[in-house]
Amino acid sequence: MIVCAAVIGQQNNPLYLETFQQAGTGSEGALRFHYIVHCSLDAVEEKLLQPQKTPGEPSDAYLGFLYPTEDFKVYGYVSNTKMKFILVLDDMAPKDEEMRLIFKRFHAAFIDAISNPFYTVNTPITSPSFDASIRTIMTTV
Amino acid sequence: MDAINAEIFTLTYGSMVRQLIADLEDVNEVNKQLDTMGYNIGIRLIDEFLAKSKTGKCIDFRDTADKIAKVGFKMFLNTSAAVANWNADSTECSLILEDNPLTDFVELPENYAGLSYCNVLCGVIRGALEMVNINVSCSFVKDVLRGDDVSELRLKLLSQMHETYPYKDDD
Amino acid sequence: MSLVKGRTCSESCMELLSLELVHYYARQNNIPAPAAVEAIGFRVGRQLAERYTANRARLGEPLEVIKFICKEFWAAAFRKQVDNLRTNHRGTFVLKDAAFRWLSKLSVDPLPPGVPAGPSPVAELARDYLILPCALIRGALVHLGVEATVTADASNLPACDFTINIKSRN
Repeated sequence: MIVCAAVIGQQNNPLYLETFQQAGTGSEGALRFHYIVHCSLDAVEEKLLQPQKTPGEPSDAYLGFLYPTEDFKVYGYVSNTKMKFILVLDDMAPKDEEMRLIFKRFHAAFIDAISNPFYTVNTPITSPSFDASIRTIMTTV
Repeated sequence: MDAINAEIFTLTYGSMVRQLIADLEDVNEVNKQLDTMGYNIGIRLIDEFLAKSKTGKCIDFRDTADKIAKVGFKMFLNTSAAVANWNADSTECSLILEDNPLTDFVELPENYAGLSYCNVLCGVIRGALEMVNINVSCSFVKDVLRGDDVSELRLKLLSQMHETYPYKDDD
Repeated sequence: MSLVKGRTCSESCMELLSLELVHYYARQNNIPAPAAVEAIGFRVGRQLAERYTANRARLGEPLEVIKFICKEFWAAAFRKQVDNLRTNHRGTFVLKDAAFRWLSKLSVDPLPPGVPAGPSPVAELARDYLILPCALIRGALVHLGVEATVTADASNLPACDFTINIKSRN
């Protein structure tokens, strides 16, 4: 199950981070995920530099499994505009196809959120409706 | 009618509203300018409406309201409005917008609570009707962006000049 | 390319809005009109770039981004593709659109024969109308990581040339 979803902006600045856990972890939990997400950026950069498995095949936004922590697995997705989408899962190993779909929906919700005329690109997203749709996407897996 | 993806229109309108707020620094002034811009759009848009809708002359104001709601909104915004809440002498009604492309993606910040985001529509209706000699006042009384369940435009007939149309005297 | 929601509206909506936008800022005395229109278009260009690139393969070099602008972006925003793309291989790209859609209403009256080509009243007017599309394109480019300036030349209506100058890195 997904325990954390985050978006990192074009200058590697955090735009959004939300945790989906049982109550009781508090801000300490959020801090921990901030750290995990921050560390995942190196793995994202590394993945982007890697040569394609099959030369000539178009690269995919979905980067797949990035790295494991002691308790979690971190997955990544990067848009053509260099927005990074990070999902942290607890120990259940998901199927790639399923993850790809979740990231697509995550990105689609993000596109609508930045289409709000009162939002400024590369600033933190505070939209309640974005929050709600992310919660739906992440908790109905 | 040539159709385009609505989002470029929706986004441009939104970006324009944001710019007006930055320029004018007063939401009441923004509301006023949106209405004026709508008016200027309306007086141009009516020609296309008349040419393409091929509707005949409106029988009465009820007919006018129906045509705006069912034909006008459909033709330009590819949505439709419901006509409701007529007053007793059929000079006032509401256009209820259940689905409005202008508000896609929009979340109004709390400090802009006085903003009538879609005010351009009021001006468009006013301007278009003026070109066919119908004077109306038009304003939003409910707005989904401000927490209402629907968006509601109140349309009020002020005067209608028939004498500019040539008509026969035999009845 | 699937565009989100598939909601449509009449092309006239966009035409009438961009026309009124030009007229509105022409009426203001105290606001620098080109800057305001450029700011409006730039934001939209960024938003569109995010939307239009969501379901395509990853873009790499600036040339790929320019090609994306010429084909997919142009088709989605301006309803056709760019007809011709030229480059000096030093960061300047000229995109030729033989009949730029947003100027079609301006192009109805061709210059009478004998009138020399060059800055005509229509071309002057076109210049105001072109601030918005130029800003859209620049916004999209910047959002895709390509810092550039975009200018347009409409002295041969209905054709329109857009010149993209990529700012050299470092």
